[in-house]
Amino acid sequence: MLTPHPTLLIGPSDWNAERMPRAEFTRRIDALWAHAPQAERAVVFGSSRHHAELAYFTNLVPKLGPALALLVRSGEHRMFVGDSANMLGAARPLTWIENVASMKEAAAAIAGGQTGRSALLVGADYMPLALRRSITEALGNNSVVDATAQVWAQMRRKSRCELDAIEAAAKTTGVARKAMREALVAGGGITDVVLAGERAAGAAGAQDVRTLFSLDGGRTLRPFVVPESQKVDPLLAYLAVRCFNYWAECFPLFTTRPEPTPLNQKAWDAMALVVPSIKAGVATQEIGQRIASAIAPYQSHPVTDRAFVQPMGLGLDEPPYTDVGATFEEGEVYSLRVGAIDGAGGSMICSGMFFVQADGIVAFDEGA
Amino acid sequence: MNFQERLADVCRRMQEEKLSLLVALHDGAHFIEKPNPVTVVTGFKSIGAVAALLFSDGTCTLIVTPRWDAERAAALCPQARVVGTDDLVPALLGLFGGDFPRDTIDQIGIAGMAVLPSGMASPIAAALPGTRAADRIVSDAARTKTGEEIAFAREAARIAELGYERLKQIAAPGMTEDALAVELRDYMKTLGAEDNFLLLCAGPHNRAVQPSTGRKLEQGDIILAEITPSYRGQLTQICRTVVLGAPPDEFSRKYALVVEAMNHGIAAAKPGVAMGQVCGAINAVLEAQGYGEYCHPPHIRRRGHGLGFASARPGDVSLDNATVLEPDMLFMIHPNQYLPETGYLLCGEPVLITATGAEVLTRERSSLGVAGR
Repeated sequence: MLTPHPTLLIGPSDWNAERMPRAEFTRRIDALWAHAPQAERAVVFGSSRHHAELAYFTNLVPKLGPALALLVRSGEHRMFVGDSANMLGAARPLTWIENVASMKEAAAAIAGGQTGRSALLVGADYMPLALRRSITEALGNNSVVDATAQVWAQMRRKSRCELDAIEAAAKTTGVARKAMREALVAGGGITDVVLAGERAAGAAGAQDVRTLFSLDGGRTLRPFVVPESQKVDPLLAYLAVRCFNYWAECFPLFTTRPEPTPLNQKAWDAMALVVPSIKAGVATQEIGQRIASAIAPYQSHPVTDRAFVQPMGLGLDEPPYTDVGATFEEGEVYSLRVGAIDGAGGSMICSGMFFVQADGIVAFDEGA
Repeated sequence: MNFQERLADVCRRMQEEKLSLLVALHDGAHFIEKPNPVTVVTGFKSIGAVAALLFSDGTCTLIVTPRWDAERAAALCPQARVVGTDDLVPALLGLFGGDFPRDTIDQIGIAGMAVLPSGMASPIAAALPGTRAADRIVSDAARTKTGEEIAFAREAARIAELGYERLKQIAAPGMTEDALAVELRDYMKTLGAEDNFLLLCAGPHNRAVQPSTGRKLEQGDIILAEITPSYRGQLTQICRTVVLGAPPDEFSRKYALVVEAMNHGIAAAKPGVAMGQVCGAINAVLEAQGYGEYCHPPHIRRRGHGLGFASARPGDVSLDNATVLEPDMLFMIHPNQYLPETGYLLCGEPVLITATGAEVLTRERSSLGVAGR
């Protein structure tokens, strides 16, 4: 789900070796080489906005400027960050890679290691044109293979460490939801409610929190622009929390009303209907069609219409936002969204996160 | 100047350059130093990638991602025709297909291409060969702030100063830099800051200001903070230094020197003066005290900068910036100096050029802060 991109990422992002051991990264890099036996080196790019692939191999999430990792089949991996040597100190705690240098040194260092064998480039489309040109040239032009799609495929099946990180993020959404609910019940306006959730998640150690909310009964979602004192009940929100680099999301509905509306009930009924039929190999469009049938006569919500399910992991909004793939894959984590809108203006989105196994799914514990 | 007058200025510059269409592009990754030509010509700060097609008669089409954000964009930009999409590039290029007259391609200018991710820039460049770079048209028109942007900058400065007070109240040994930065960001958001370029770090002898890490604050630390809230899309910054505990006498004296340098820079900033002279005025104070070698890279790159998100003009407060200052230009003056005795010191104020000089937007100028006592 796209949310506004902050100009600087603020929050705890240091590499935690207990949560994500070095062996986990070694395994990932080994798998990269296994898929590309001719490749001797790989350059992985990440920016503060698009960095899932970089974080996957290095743990580093660039808070400010872009970063490059130079992974080598034999020898020492290197990381290049920022535009000044003065900034290296803040980058070192973010990664297990020990050799961290300025981005200014990247092209020369990469060119110096040319072997004539092929090299992989990951995240090339996120690079500005000039940087892409210089790095491709440094790698030796003709021998460069864009391996981004290969890495995306590799990232899909989650390890135990990854599932634990996502579980932590999912539980933190529960902490945030509880605070938001309490703020609403206490009579808070929209901003009071939304920021109560953000602060609670931050206090619980979240690395990042993103929110959207609705002023019109759930029909549209919008980001925080200025404080809104207006009270809305029921209040539909979007909440995404990141812990240990991994995201979880939900669409909580806050209300003081004791009974769910028919639309609300319909959406949750549709969710309950389709979830048991999801397992590895099931066609995603089949689930989409079943949701559409289950929410009839209501229409699909514009937010979920083209994105009723989304893989979750290191990226909250990596493109393609609306292309989930043909089938549910074993070991992959998804957020399933059921959105419905009626002609009178009522709207509802509910969601659930789970990982897929051969014979079904396991839902994440989303806390309170 | 208001938004409509600035837009008219852009259109006038287009006509002078014989451009019938200006395509403004932005990928939605908002960054303090990255100009946003779409925001300049529409006033819209997007969630995702966005394009604005501005015709020389002032009519405008705004293409926004994600698709579901189109209604918000239409409400905020009533002057534009708004199109929602989930994939910007095909939607944009689709407007140039079919009966689009190819012989008029040299009448199209593009702004924002250089900072786009290559995955967006390459297909656009390939599909529209022969177009002209038009960044300068947009940035020249946005070299000064509109009245609305100035009002927002004042509010952002107020929020920044409250954030600084909060920092002094809550910073304590044992707290991580990250936790302090998160608390300050969240606090300033309750005051109205929708975004915040908050660089915050600490240590006994800092080499630079950097993004926060998990390092725990210790008694005697020097906390550096570039507090940069954005209010309705307009950034303002204050640069502050806080000692966790009692500052040694020499430290206070050195900080006063840096403040003096800043004040010389502020006094030098007035209409008709080149930005490089402002930098020179700051350097002169420090050079006179024997710190000449620390007035240049790698110790210092610039003494301030423009404040986006829409436009980053008038650019850096650096010796090589020949921009001549004009009323309604808004920028930071921050000496932010490394001294061998103290480490890096932050001190800086946002200033607005008026008819007679530089108006400091903060209520209270930098002084050495103390926390944790």
